[in-house]
Amino acid sequence: MGNGAIILLMTACFLGFGYMGVPVAFALMAGVLAACMFTPISMQSMIGQMFHGIDSEILLAVPFFLLVGELMTSADVTNRMIRLAQTMVGHLRGGLAQVVTLFSMFFAGISGSSTADVAVLSRTVAVEMTKEGYDRAFTAALIACASTMANLIPPSIMAVVYGATGNVSIGGLFLAGIVPGVLIGIGLMIYSHFFGPVGIRKPRASLCEFADAARASFLPLMIPLIIMGGILTGWFTPTEAGMIASVYILVVLIPLLNRKHVPNLPRDFVYTGLLYSLPLALVAAASAFGWMLAYLRGPDIVSGWIELIAGHDGRIIMLLLVLLFIVIGDFMDAVPAIIIFMPIVIKLNELGNINSLHMGVVLITTLVFGLITPPYGLSLLVASKFVGVRFSRAMFASLPIYVVFFITIAFTVLFPDIVLYLPKLFLPESVGCFKSPTGAGYICPSG
Amino acid sequence: MILSGISIAGFTLSVFCDVVTREIGRPWLWLQLATTGFFAWGVFIGMAVATRRLDHLNLVEITKGMSGPKRSFMEIVNRLVILAVGISMLVFGFQNALNDMGSYRMPSLIPLATYTASVPISGALICLFCLEQIINGWRHGFEGPEDQDDFAGIK
Repeated sequence: MGNGAIILLMTACFLGFGYMGVPVAFALMAGVLAACMFTPISMQSMIGQMFHGIDSEILLAVPFFLLVGELMTSADVTNRMIRLAQTMVGHLRGGLAQVVTLFSMFFAGISGSSTADVAVLSRTVAVEMTKEGYDRAFTAALIACASTMANLIPPSIMAVVYGATGNVSIGGLFLAGIVPGVLIGIGLMIYSHFFGPVGIRKPRASLCEFADAARASFLPLMIPLIIMGGILTGWFTPTEAGMIASVYILVVLIPLLNRKHVPNLPRDFVYTGLLYSLPLALVAAASAFGWMLAYLRGPDIVSGWIELIAGHDGRIIMLLLVLLFIVIGDFMDAVPAIIIFMPIVIKLNELGNINSLHMGVVLITTLVFGLITPPYGLSLLVASKFVGVRFSRAMFASLPIYVVFFITIAFTVLFPDIVLYLPKLFLPESVGCFKSPTGAGYICPSG
Repeated sequence: MILSGISIAGFTLSVFCDVVTREIGRPWLWLQLATTGFFAWGVFIGMAVATRRLDHLNLVEITKGMSGPKRSFMEIVNRLVILAVGISMLVFGFQNALNDMGSYRMPSLIPLATYTASVPISGALICLFCLEQIINGWRHGFEGPEDQDDFAGIK
């Protein structure tokens, strides 16, 4: 059996079992084990590869960013940030829709999980939006779209996984994700203002009310500073920054802001313990799948196809990869997609001489779009469930909002200088710059 | 589930102690080993627990839209696929763990098997939970109250 046929068999097993209802991690492993029967690779080494897939210190950051989101959500500290968002944008046209977007931008700086964002917004603002007469389908669509920012604005779990598998600076990916994340936020606010429901117009909050809300949310909003400050000053690794943020919530925020929650903390740990194993089980299975794909020379086959169309033009290669990842994101979760296709991405980076950090942020932005597209739009599925509306209705309501994502992806591809401005400023090495031999400043690659 | 909670609490504590001991200039190198141990065991035990609680991520929960013998057939086929992967994790993971008895992690010289044993144990639990679900489903059917929600996505 040729390599191409084995890759097809492996992919067919994965997609076939996956769409029959087998959990993704097991469907991936079933595909790998089926491929083992036609190659000299032993099943024993593939099971070993599952362990090696998660045996990475960088991936330790994932549970901490999930723990931070879970602790903030269950301790109900997020209400203060919602109030702050209300005082800032609640008076605008479509006030609550604006609050959803602004709060998501705040929350994205604390949690790396879109699902946590959806859970918070569905429990709080969505109820108010329904009372004010917003269409439930619009509410679910907006919450799902806004929650995608959690995977762009640091800390981002997708960035951690991408950095760990692609050997790209995680701090650099965090910083590079800020521009597309904020662009999505601004795009959603513009969309809600001009095309969303009007809602009930409220008076503008006074300066005192704003100051009061800002003071109340000062402590929770320190978390992004702790995480990014620690990483940028080189004091912590991303894992340690996540741990410091968790300890800060446990020792400072919860005792000061919601002491009643202390007896429930063991429940939060137990729940997060289960929650973090889900994406990491995917990482374990996907790394075995990706290894087998690389062994079967999958990257060479795909890069050969792309080279036929794009030659060595980095921008066209990137656009083709964006198209490929839009399709992939429709059918599978972002974490296994990153790991499985990483060998192909690395090969194409070399082919088109593309900056790996730029490619990373473009692909993460593209995969984030997959969270709201059918059939596997995880954020939209969860939001429609929590808000209580059929998935198909939420999907139709989200269709016009796709424009915001298309514009953001195009911007990220076409304007690397703007997207990579922050990493170049704070972590020049992450963009490929190196210290000048004279000791004054950095020398950076052009383009 | 409690073991999952212990694992995340354990490695939060070990990373915390790692940072503190490093900052005071007396690093405990074994803490990093403890951290990765808690982490790996947490992932694989959590994988088994999620199998029992049906918490794993699915592409589409197509079976929730079915009922009767069709549903039973699909659910059993799905469980058999999971069972096959679980058996592979148990058998081949056990062989890997035996091989890893002779490999050690530096600097503490702990056998690598103390980490990799998490794979066959997870495999054994996955097999047990799968068999439990097949037997219960065979006796009482696979339909449950959770099927009523709209989370099944596209039906």
